Amino acid sequence: MLNIQPDLHLIGAADLDPKAARVLPVRQGAVPADCARAAAAAGFTGEAEKTLLLLDRPEGGVLLLLGIGEGARPEEAGAAAAAALCDQAQITIDGRGLPRSLAVPIALGAALRAWAPPQHRQGKRASEPGLSETTRLDLLVDDAERPGRRWREAQATVEAVCLARALVAEPSNFLTPKAFATRLRALEDAGITVEILSGRALGAKGLGLLQAVGRGSVHPPQLAVLRWPGSLDQPPVCFVGKGITFDTGGISIKPADRMWEMRGDMAGAAACVGAMLALARRGSPAPAVAVLALAENMVDGDAYRPGDVIQGHAGLTVEIVDTDAEGRLVLADALSYAVSRFQPRAVVDLATLTYAVGVALGGEMAGVYGNDGLLAAHLAAAGVVVGERVWPLPVTERQREALASDIADIKQCITGRLVPDAALAAAFLRAFVGDTPWAHLDIGAVEAREEAEGRYAAGPTGFGVRLLDQLVATRYEDPDHP
Amino acid sequence: MLDVAFSKPVPPKAGAVALLLAEEEQLAGVAAALDQAAGGAIARALEVAGFKGHKGKNIMLYAPAPGLGRVVVQGLGKRADLSALTLEEAGGSIATALSAEPQAVILADSLGAQDAAHLALGAVLRSYRFDRYRTKEKAEDKPKLAAISLQVPELTKARAAFAPLKATAEGIFLTRDLVTEPANILTPAEMAERCKKLTALGLKVEVLGPKELAKLGFGAMLGVSQGSVQEPRMVVMQWNGTGARRTKKPVCFVGKGVTFDTGGISIKPAAGMEDMKWDMAGAGAVVGLMATLAGRKAKVDAVGIVGLVENMPSGTAQRPGDVVTSYSGQTIEVLNTDAEGRLVLADLLWYAQEKFDPAFMVNLATLTGAIIVALGQEHGGMFSNDDDLSQKLLAAGLTTGEKLWRMPLGDAYDRSLKSDIADMKNIAGRYGSAVVAAQFIQRFVNGKPWAHLDIAGMVWSSKDAPCVPKGATAYGLRLLDRLVRDHYEG
Repeated sequence: MLNIQPDLHLIGAADLDPKAARVLPVRQGAVPADCARAAAAAGFTGEAEKTLLLLDRPEGGVLLLLGIGEGARPEEAGAAAAAALCDQAQITIDGRGLPRSLAVPIALGAALRAWAPPQHRQGKRASEPGLSETTRLDLLVDDAERPGRRWREAQATVEAVCLARALVAEPSNFLTPKAFATRLRALEDAGITVEILSGRALGAKGLGLLQAVGRGSVHPPQLAVLRWPGSLDQPPVCFVGKGITFDTGGISIKPADRMWEMRGDMAGAAACVGAMLALARRGSPAPAVAVLALAENMVDGDAYRPGDVIQGHAGLTVEIVDTDAEGRLVLADALSYAVSRFQPRAVVDLATLTYAVGVALGGEMAGVYGNDGLLAAHLAAAGVVVGERVWPLPVTERQREALASDIADIKQCITGRLVPDAALAAAFLRAFVGDTPWAHLDIGAVEAREEAEGRYAAGPTGFGVRLLDQLVATRYEDPDHP
Repeated sequence: MLDVAFSKPVPPKAGAVALLLAEEEQLAGVAAALDQAAGGAIARALEVAGFKGHKGKNIMLYAPAPGLGRVVVQGLGKRADLSALTLEEAGGSIATALSAEPQAVILADSLGAQDAAHLALGAVLRSYRFDRYRTKEKAEDKPKLAAISLQVPELTKARAAFAPLKATAEGIFLTRDLVTEPANILTPAEMAERCKKLTALGLKVEVLGPKELAKLGFGAMLGVSQGSVQEPRMVVMQWNGTGARRTKKPVCFVGKGVTFDTGGISIKPAAGMEDMKWDMAGAGAVVGLMATLAGRKAKVDAVGIVGLVENMPSGTAQRPGDVVTSYSGQTIEVLNTDAEGRLVLADLLWYAQEKFDPAFMVNLATLTGAIIVALGQEHGGMFSNDDDLSQKLLAAGLTTGEKLWRMPLGDAYDRSLKSDIADMKNIAGRYGSAVVAAQFIQRFVNGKPWAHLDIAGMVWSSKDAPCVPKGATAYGLRLLDRLVRDHYEG
C-alpha cells in the first residue's frame, strides 16, 4: 500500500537471518544459564519491561534480553525492546515457547515503536537520535506456517496505524486535499470502495460548509467516501473524519509560533482511513463507511470571512464567527451527508478540533462527546483494551442555546476567554446528526507527541485507529446482537 | 564527591571497568590483556556493535569474564585531537555509564598524567547531584558510583596533576550548590554566611550589611534591595596567594547576586519565574572561583566581591521613575526595576576599583534576556574596554569549553542612556539592550581594565551535558580559573 516502516514478518527457525538483532523474552528469574553472569552484573532478572543489551555473545551478533516478568504489559515490553535496538536495521523477536497471546503483542508493540516518519532527505538518511532505523521486524515462532488470527490482526493493526501516522506526518505541500484523496485509491486493493466528490459535485450535494472552508485555497476541497461491505446484513457503522490538510486559521489567522504543526490537522481523517484498512485487512464482518472532509484552510482574497452566513448540507444556515473554527464546519457537512445517505447504526467522528480539550484532559486522553451513553461507554471500554483512552465530557442544552444567532440558524462558535470551546463544538455538531447514535472524539491533544514514549515514536500517534477497530470488533460484529 | 585514586596498570580481576579506545586503534596494553582474559569477548562486542572509538560513543558489556561487573568501552575520537576537554567529556560519559556500580577502575594506561587527571575531573564533574531535598528517594534509585581508580603509568605525576583539578571541582560543586538552592533557603544573609565558611581555606572574608552599605553610600544597590524583608549583603573575599605583605594590583572578580528576582514593581510574567532563583549565578561563580584559587593555593592575589540582594515588589519597593545616587556619586533614574543587576554592579565595581586598584576587573552577571536572543546558549557575551584582557578571556574560554563571544561597546549605545533629570537612566529602547546594559556598567569602572560577562544563557542547563548534569553549570568559574592560571600566577 505505502512504503511503511517497519516490515513485519512471521518466520521459522529456517528463515533466521544471522544479521538480525535478537530479542529474547525472559520471565522473572528465568535468565538463560549462558547469560546468567552478565545478567547478574547488570542486575537484570527479567523484571517487567526491562532490557539488557549483550554485544559479546559467543555465537556473535546482538542479543537483547527482554524482561516479561510479573506485571509486564506485552506491547510495552515489545516497545522497550524496539527502543533499545533503534539503531538496528533488523530485529528478530524470539517468540518460541511463548503463547501467541504473549508473543504477538510483543511484536506489535515493537513494530509500533519502531515506526519512523517517511523521510524527505537528499541522499542517505542520517542517523538521528530517537529516530528508529529498524526497517524489518521478525517474530520467530515454532509454527510459522500457521499465522493464526492474532498474527493477522496484529499485522493489520501495524499497517493501519502506520498508514495513519504516515499521512499525518506528511508535509502539506505534498498532502493536499486532492493528493490525500488520490492516495486513498490504494485502499481498493484491500476491498474498500473509494468514492471522491469534488468541484461542482460538492455544490450539487449541498456541501456548502466544506466548500466555504476550502475556498481560500488553490487546492480545492474533496469529500472522500470509503465503504467496506462486510458480510452482515446490517446498516453500516460510520466514521467521519476532519481532514484539514493545512490550517492557517484563514482570515482569523493563527499566530506564527508552531503553526507548522497544523500539517497534522487531518489526523481525524487519517485515523478513519487507518480504521477502515484495519477492518478490511482482518476481514471484519461488519459493514462500515468512512466519510472524510478534506480541505485546506488558507488566507486569500476570496476566503470566507468572519460574519459570513453559509448554508450547509443539512440546510441549516451557519453564522461564521471565527474562520479558525473550520473543523466543525466541514464535519457538520460530512456528518449530515453521512447520516442522510447511509442511515448508519452509529456515527463516530474524529477531529483535531480544539485546544480546549487539551486544556481539559492533557495529552493522555481524548475527549468524547455524544448523544448516546451506550456508544460512549463502548468507546471508553474499547479505549481501555487498546490503550487509546477516552474520557466522557458533557455537552448541554445551554451550550446549544449559547450558539443562537441573530441572523442565522446557528452560530459556529463563541469567542472570548475561558469559553468551553470543545463542548460548544460538540453542541454545534450535535445539530447536524439528528437522532442517529453519535459520538464525537476531540483528539486535539493526543494526535502527536513531542518525544518517543512506550509504543509511540516521536510524532504522530495514529490515535483512533485501534480504538475504532476495537469498537467495531466488540460491538458490531456479533450477528446475534444487532 | 566522587573519590579519585590512581593505581598501577594491572588487568583488573573484579568489579566495573572502563576501557578507552581511540579511533583507528586496537585494544592495547591492559585493555588487550583484559580482553584476552575474557576470551576475546570485548573485541567481539566491538565488532558486533561496529564500534570504532568515535568521540562521545560507548558500548557496554556485562561481566565478560567471571568476577567482572559492567565493562564500558569509551570512544575518545582521534588520538591526535585529544584535548583536556574531550578527555573530560569521556570521563563524564564513563561516570554516567557506570553510575549503578559502587566503584570502577578506568584503564588509562595509554594516557599521560595530565590527560588522565582531566579524564578523572570529567567523571567527578558529571557525578554531581543535588539531592538535599529529596527525602523519599529510595537508595536503589540513587546513583551509586562513589569511587574511581585510574590505572596510569606515572602515578606520582598523575596525583600531582589531579590535586589542583580537585580544588577546581570542589569550587564548582560549591557554585552549583549555591545556584541550585531555592531562594527561600539561600537569602542574601544565608549566602554571606556560606561565604564566611571559606575562611577555613585561608580566604579573608568580610561581610557588610545594610548599615555599612548605607554609610558607604551604596544607593543603587540599596534601592534594589529596599522592597524585600531580606537584608542585603556585600561580601569581599581576599586571597593573598603571592605571600606579599601588601598586595598590589590584585586580580578582581565581581558577581551579581540577586538571590531572587521578581522584577520588583516592574514585575516579570509568572511563567518561568522560578528560574530567577539562579539570578545570583554570577556571584555563585565568583564565590566558587575564590574557593578554587584558595583550594589549589594559586600564586596570585585575588579579590572576589559579590553583591547579594533580593528584588521584590512591596510597599517599600523602589518605583519606576525613582532617582538613586550610586556609590560613585552619579545619579541614576530607575525606569525599570527589573533592570536591577546593573544597579548592584554599579556600586560594587566602583568600590572594587577604588579600594583595591586591581590589575583588572571581570564581572559576571545573569544580566539580560537580550544576550540569549543574540548568542543562544552556546557562548557567554563579553563586553570589554581592554583588548588584551579580552583575548586572554576568549582563549581561556576555548580551553575550558566555557566559550565567550565578544560583543560591541560604543558611544552611540552609551548616548541612549541619557536621562532628562539624572546622570543616566537604567534602560534604553527595545533593541541592543545587552549592549546598553554593558554600557551602563562601564560608567562605573573608572577607566580600569574591565570585562563584563553576560552569562544569562549559560548558568542553567535544561539537559544533561557530558560533564554537567542538568541544572546549575557553574559557568564562568573554570574560565576565570584558567585565565588566572595561564597569565597571572608566579
